[in-house]
Amino acid sequence: MAAVEVAVRDEERAPDVRGPTAPLPATTLGLGIASIVAILGGTLALQLNTVLTGAELTPACVELGFDEVTGGTGVCGIVETLGSDAQTFLAILAIVTGTVAMVLGFGWFRRMDSIRKREQCITGGVIGIQGVALSLLLLWFREGRPDLIAKNFLNWGVLEGYGYQFLRAARNTLILAIGGELGGIVIGLVLAVLVISKRRAVRSPARVYINFFRGTPLIWQLGAGGLLLTFGFNASISPFAVAILIFSLNTGAYAAEVFRAGIQSIERGQVEAARSLGMTYGQSLRYAIVPQAVRRVIPPLMNEFVILIKDTALVVVVGLLVEQYDLFTLARSGQATTFNATFFTAAALGYLVITLPLIWLVNRVERRLRSGLVGFVGAQ
Amino acid sequence: MTFPSDPKAPPGDLEDEPLIRLEGIHKWFGDLHVLRGIDLTLAQRDVQVVIGPSGSGKSTLLRCVNLLERPTLGKVWFEGQDLTDIRTDLNEARNHIGIVFQAFNLFPHLTVMRNVTIALEKVLKVSGNDATERAWEQLVRVGLGTKAEAYPGQLSGGQQQRVAIARALAMRPRLMLFDEVTSALDPELVGEVLEVMIRLAGDGMTMMVVTHEMGFAREVGTRMLFIDEGRVVEQGEPREMYRAPQSPRLREFLGKVL
Repeated sequence: MAAVEVAVRDEERAPDVRGPTAPLPATTLGLGIASIVAILGGTLALQLNTVLTGAELTPACVELGFDEVTGGTGVCGIVETLGSDAQTFLAILAIVTGTVAMVLGFGWFRRMDSIRKREQCITGGVIGIQGVALSLLLLWFREGRPDLIAKNFLNWGVLEGYGYQFLRAARNTLILAIGGELGGIVIGLVLAVLVISKRRAVRSPARVYINFFRGTPLIWQLGAGGLLLTFGFNASISPFAVAILIFSLNTGAYAAEVFRAGIQSIERGQVEAARSLGMTYGQSLRYAIVPQAVRRVIPPLMNEFVILIKDTALVVVVGLLVEQYDLFTLARSGQATTFNATFFTAAALGYLVITLPLIWLVNRVERRLRSGLVGFVGAQ
Repeated sequence: MTFPSDPKAPPGDLEDEPLIRLEGIHKWFGDLHVLRGIDLTLAQRDVQVVIGPSGSGKSTLLRCVNLLERPTLGKVWFEGQDLTDIRTDLNEARNHIGIVFQAFNLFPHLTVMRNVTIALEKVLKVSGNDATERAWEQLVRVGLGTKAEAYPGQLSGGQQQRVAIARALAMRPRLMLFDEVTSALDPELVGEVLEVMIRLAGDGMTMMVVTHEMGFAREVGTRMLFIDEGRVVEQGEPREMYRAPQSPRLREFLGKVL
């Protein structure tokens, strides 16, 4: 075995001690990657190729009745490509390479003499499993009725002319969520201050409010809230505004618990120090406790916001005007008109476009919080 | 027992009134009887040291002086004002009583300067410039003039504790309470904090000090209190108590810690 050369240098960075590689682990890793690329990249490339070269209605598709369906040609392309020999070849290729990677990787990783070799063996084997699993899933799925799935969920043709409406719906979803979150933060902060009071008379009403809104379904709150405001209080406000109000009231209850936990997580000594300097209870909350608590509650509040974005879909029970439609209500309306569920697929993609960056951001903030550097230096 | 109608007008001659007077202090935490009737009087410029085994109630006693803990029974008189009377404005009284904690309790989200000035501005309503000036004075006094813009997390334990002392001193208190202020420090950092306290005592500050630093207690203390199981076991002049402890409990305690 060749001696691992570790040049000891006086540098900032720690040296790379993973060691050299060898043909066997490198091949294992390569086969694993080949497997996953074949099934994921290959399938995607085949479908893309069909779209670019233009699909056509085959006799088989005519037999399935696609010639009478809007966007039937596109659906036919998806189904035919899925059933093609090229797709079969890719799946088998992925299964073979993936299996070999699994056998080599898991059979030999213990015998490897460097960290890099071992990691390549394990990684190759793990990716191989994923390639094989995905391939088997695809072959299995093909045995069913992929034409029905494609026709009902992937018929992009039916979405034609809905582009502007989807953009408007996405905007409305964001307005509902941001409005509800901002209102909820204000309500939540007030409730949190009340609910940490030592006096039961102050605490109890806030607790009742929080438990009510956390304990009943949001979809019922939306439905009942609209009726209550319209008929109970004789208030003539738009259903969209009602929805924002109900989302605020509901989010307020959850935000209150987040703030309460944040405030109570600040060490007792902080209040004691503030009160000992002659500050009132209110002043010590305002200058010592809340500024520290706010930093700690940012990640959980962002998580609540992501949840709220998806929960705005429940406005579907409120009778929104067409121009007030959010993503989900628009999707349901489109589906009701065309009897095609591809609208829901599009709506789901719309939600992902909004939530994925947020989820990424929350994870980043949480990591920074754990490393101890958020806003102020050196805080534990 | 007397019930004065006005907490600010106690019986007796104001001239003779000590700075602080504790009368029959009892404290229960639930069923736990922590303080069992403690009387204590501090005159101006006294440095009252409180020693005792852990769990003896000495920290609780200290925290009763500024009503951070409200005594279950008994009275706390500060400059002739009954702090235990619920009509007393505790926030006002606490302006004049500084306290320094074992865990520093600096505000981690504020700079050293802001830690010192915030109460000056928000409580004493001192203007920004004046507050900064007063803070400077105290930070220089504890030897931390160069750290004004640092955050507490960037300082050593000893430096943080000196900031905490400066924060309390900036309020210009007439009494300073110290609650085991060196117990959380690495041994090499204890000296710098004690040094500040020794200078403070030399300047004539009235102090009440709960401590395990026996050397400090003997050299700086003008009076000493030994408490055990919530009762005063022995009190007197520190050197005398060290030299000739009267009670077996104190003798045993000194035997263990010296």
